[in-house]
Amino acid sequence: MNTIDVQGVSKSYRSGRGRVAALSDVSLRVAAGGALAVLGRSGSGKTTLLHCIGGLERPDAGRVFCAGTAVHTLGPGALARFQRRRVGFVFQSGNLLSFLTVRENLALPLELNGILGRERDRRVAALLEAVGLPGVGAALPRELSGGEIQRVAFARAIAHGPAILLADEPTASLDSETGERLIGSMLEWATGHAATLVVATHDPDVVARVTAAIRLKDGRLEEPA
Amino acid sequence: MRPGLWVRLAARFLQRSWRSTLVLGLMVFAATGALVFLSSLAVGTNDAMVRNSVGLLAGHVLCRDLPPGVRAADLTGRGIRGALVRREVAATLRSATRWSPVELVGVDPEAEKRFTALWRKTAAGRYLEGASHDLYLGQGLARQLAAGVGQSVEIVAADRSLLGRYTVCGIFRTGIPALDGSLAFVPLSAWPAADARRTAAVFLEDGAVAAAVAAALSRLPGSPRFEAWSDFMPDLKQLIDLNYVSMGIVMVLVFAVVSLGIACAFVIFILKNLREHGILKAMGVRPVESAALILAQVTGLTLAAAGTGAAVGAGVVLLVARTGIDLGALTSHNPYFAVSGIIYPRLTSYSLGVPPLLALVFGLLAAVWPVAMVVRQRAAEILRSL
Repeated sequence: MNTIDVQGVSKSYRSGRGRVAALSDVSLRVAAGGALAVLGRSGSGKTTLLHCIGGLERPDAGRVFCAGTAVHTLGPGALARFQRRRVGFVFQSGNLLSFLTVRENLALPLELNGILGRERDRRVAALLEAVGLPGVGAALPRELSGGEIQRVAFARAIAHGPAILLADEPTASLDSETGERLIGSMLEWATGHAATLVVATHDPDVVARVTAAIRLKDGRLEEPA
Repeated sequence: MRPGLWVRLAARFLQRSWRSTLVLGLMVFAATGALVFLSSLAVGTNDAMVRNSVGLLAGHVLCRDLPPGVRAADLTGRGIRGALVRREVAATLRSATRWSPVELVGVDPEAEKRFTALWRKTAAGRYLEGASHDLYLGQGLARQLAAGVGQSVEIVAADRSLLGRYTVCGIFRTGIPALDGSLAFVPLSAWPAADARRTAAVFLEDGAVAAAVAAALSRLPGSPRFEAWSDFMPDLKQLIDLNYVSMGIVMVLVFAVVSLGIACAFVIFILKNLREHGILKAMGVRPVESAALILAQVTGLTLAAAGTGAAVGAGVVLLVARTGIDLGALTSHNPYFAVSGIIYPRLTSYSLGVPPLLALVFGLLAAVWPVAMVVRQRAAEILRSL
């Protein structure tokens, strides 16, 4: 079951202005195979919510269940196993590993999951083909355009077939047409693989294409968007 | 954990951050190369002290009372370059006006010239020759007797009987009071005393172990007692041990200071790549794998740089060892450099192995803090902090 269940999650950070509440008592549920858009302005807590769902951040309070796993209880080793097997993350700026080529970036999640040799190479080639970049395998990230970086980041996030795909404003730095295509690819892939998609975005147009949407304001959940 | 994956990733890190890698590598390279040379020079200095001390007269291995059945030809074996059999007796020298106790030594002048350097220390006159009634004595003894080259000196036995009359052919000066003030030499062919000890001085090949040769020779018939130079010159042995300890302390101090610089550079290097470690953690890389990646980077860089530094340092040592470094101006009044002040740096497992090993140890120590930082922080903390 690839359900995401967030129950009363709160998270705050220390900053120069004292403690800042990034999330306050947020609860939500995304059914297996569903696609949720998280809307909100910058600083509303979208990224923190995705980080809590993906285990990149431990909530101060509340519980997070992803694909049957109580993420908030996992120790470092179990959390790493959960992330490498079950989660794919597309960051706002792509966050490709700058010291690896595109091909090596795509191969890494496969290798972390024990997929090696010809099978790994075959899957990498198929991924490059799927995102329409068959010729950039040997390029370093700095040699790619913004759109290409996000497509490679998407390919890397789905390389190992995760149950949950988390995308943090993946279209923020893209023109609208490229962004639309990328969101379309994500939705298509999630539907085709029965994966659950959560995408944080500023873009209200995304709402029309997902199964559900929420809006965050100052770390609190407003009523469904 | 698949070690090959992390080693490959570490190699990519280093390769594609080549400027940082180069700067860091140069620091380790320079420190290692310099210390290989300096420690080889220390070994060479110790060698020179041994060479000077044993080459003057005593040999690397000596026997103070050689049994009658043992001949010079018996003193052979692995590592032995040659041996000199001498005769020694305590006697008195008497000049026209004075007298002095002496250790009289009968030698084969030609053989002595092949193995020892005392004849090179002649301050007046000449060294001994074949069968003549020549006497070759130290400067301190000559002063005590008020005897000069060409003058006649009598040798008197312990029972006050006259053993013979000899002519001073030469006077030596080593700068070592024990030699200059108490030794006199005559040719064996003109040896005056029937009742004398036979002694042996054994000279070794480079690299031969004196203690092992002494032990082997002590198994000859009659069970002669052979001593290695470290036994009959404990002061030199201590001085050499002190040199090694001093050099070891210098190496540790140099690397401790250099490692501070290396540690700072490593921290900057890893901080520069901190975002990558955050991304890796977000992809599910375990803390132990993050640590392995950083340690593989540090180890790979240190081994490559220290290996190259050691190779270049060794090359310089081999080059300099062909001619040696003449430090005569600094050693001319030092009894441990009585023959020559030329130092030939020499590579040993100590001089070649310790500097790279220290580089690796301090490099790994320098990596402890960055490793702890990356391992303890969560992926989101790292990514948010950039």
